[in-house]
Amino acid sequence: MSAAAPGTSKAAHGDVAAKKKKGPGALATAYLVIYNVVMTAGWLVIAVGLVRAYLARGSYHGLYYSIEKPLKFFQTGAILEVLSRVFLTWAVTHSVREVQSEDSVLLFVTAWTVTEIIRYSFYTFSLLNHLPYLIKWARYTFFIVLYPMGVTGELLTIYAALPYVQKTGLYSVTLPNKYNFSFDYYTFLILIMISYIPLFPQLYFHMIRQRKKVLGHAEDYSKVE
Amino acid sequence: MRSTPMIYCRRSVEILDAKTKDKLCFLDKVRTYTISFHHDPQWYPARQSIRLDPKGKSLKDEDVLQHLPVGTTATFYFRDLGAQISWVTVFLTEYTGPLVIYLMFYFRVPFIYAPKYDFTTSKHWVVHLACMCHSFHYVKRLLETLFVHRFSHGTMPLRNIFKNCTYYWGFAAWMAYYINHPLYTPPIYGEQQIRLALIVFLFCQIGNFSIHVALRNLRPPGSKTRKIPYPTKNPFTWIFLLVSCPNYTYELGSWLGFTLMTQCLPVAFFTLVGFIQMTVWAKGKHRSYLKEFRDYPPLRSPILPFVL
Repeated sequence: MSAAAPGTSKAAHGDVAAKKKKGPGALATAYLVIYNVVMTAGWLVIAVGLVRAYLARGSYHGLYYSIEKPLKFFQTGAILEVLSRVFLTWAVTHSVREVQSEDSVLLFVTAWTVTEIIRYSFYTFSLLNHLPYLIKWARYTFFIVLYPMGVTGELLTIYAALPYVQKTGLYSVTLPNKYNFSFDYYTFLILIMISYIPLFPQLYFHMIRQRKKVLGHAEDYSKVE
Repeated sequence: MRSTPMIYCRRSVEILDAKTKDKLCFLDKVRTYTISFHHDPQWYPARQSIRLDPKGKSLKDEDVLQHLPVGTTATFYFRDLGAQISWVTVFLTEYTGPLVIYLMFYFRVPFIYAPKYDFTTSKHWVVHLACMCHSFHYVKRLLETLFVHRFSHGTMPLRNIFKNCTYYWGFAAWMAYYINHPLYTPPIYGEQQIRLALIVFLFCQIGNFSIHVALRNLRPPGSKTRKIPYPTKNPFTWIFLLVSCPNYTYELGSWLGFTLMTQCLPVAFFTLVGFIQMTVWAKGKHRSYLKEFRDYPPLRSPILPFVL
């Protein structure tokens, strides 16, 4: 799995949203700082998980297996989230001007923003080993509304972009040409929308299961904190 | 992998499940035994992996208990490799697909292109040539699978056939769609380009075949011995001086030739992806040659002379 830990999505989102207003330069530097801090945070979380598992078990045996599932899941989920956000921001919202004033854009941007604020507070506090129960609760509860909200916003935005893409042939290549290749962005967007159907429920129900597991141990954790 | 250790002295053998560490069976004061599970036909030998360490490599069929690093009670770990399928079956299936699929596009079977083009043929002669080359390539592969290759492992996991067929069949359809398209554009440099491409393609097909024959001759029938391959009298094998896996080198060359011949971007993609995969395999093979043979020729690279 790649090192694209939880940090990347916020960095990508923050970077990309600001890129639309100003040029690079000072922003690139800010992005790098944020990116590095957040990457560190993300991997520290995994590390903390490993150390806790080691202390609980008393040996290295099976340590990887204790964090394997969440690691794989969050890496894949994180990558999907990153890809979907970069795609939505650049390949849809930025590229199709007509879509930028749609309410659906506000919908997913709000969802992403609130999610990320909560998520990164969660990581920061975890690092400091002083995680207020409220933050943990928020992280594992707000997604119930924010996930569907974000997905709805994203799907509506893509859907709104479709007629313009078809009319203008945006990012599309037709035959004949000397490379004997073609690409229909309109069909591609439809396939993307369809791919949400298997992906979104899996992620969503995994988060629900995580919530039961994490918040189920609320009494133990609040004693430790 | 089926483990059939022949035991000549008094030892005890216990076999544990590699994952759960449950004791599956215990053999006391064993004399002469071949170990494999025959109780349940579901657990055919090809899917049994018996090993000394739960996460280690499987023992081979030929391994002898006496020579293994075990104490008076030998502990083995059993792992189920899952449903297996023979290499021959996989190869035949994955190569027949592209052959048939390409021809369907070539003959412009209905529902692919606009109805007015159904069962028409392309007016460009390079399209006919490309069809012959593509078909020749896969017929060659099928015949090699049946008559030339000697496989070290009999089987591979069943899920591989779905993965492999998706790859081969998918790419074949994607390439064939554009090459046989009514709006196909022939190569920019015309006959010169096509002729050069054909020469490269044929040269590499012969080369690839020569290597397969040379590798086959390294190994007597039915044996699984491994030897260092060397150049033979056939000039196409002289590339062994510079490369460990020249079969992959020639395969890359063939597809580069086909890309040049068709001037088609999907073909270039297919060539690139294949090259990446073959490089991974070549590096692995090269590494295992180096590990196994002290006197392995130092001049050789895995797949591209001096480069990769």
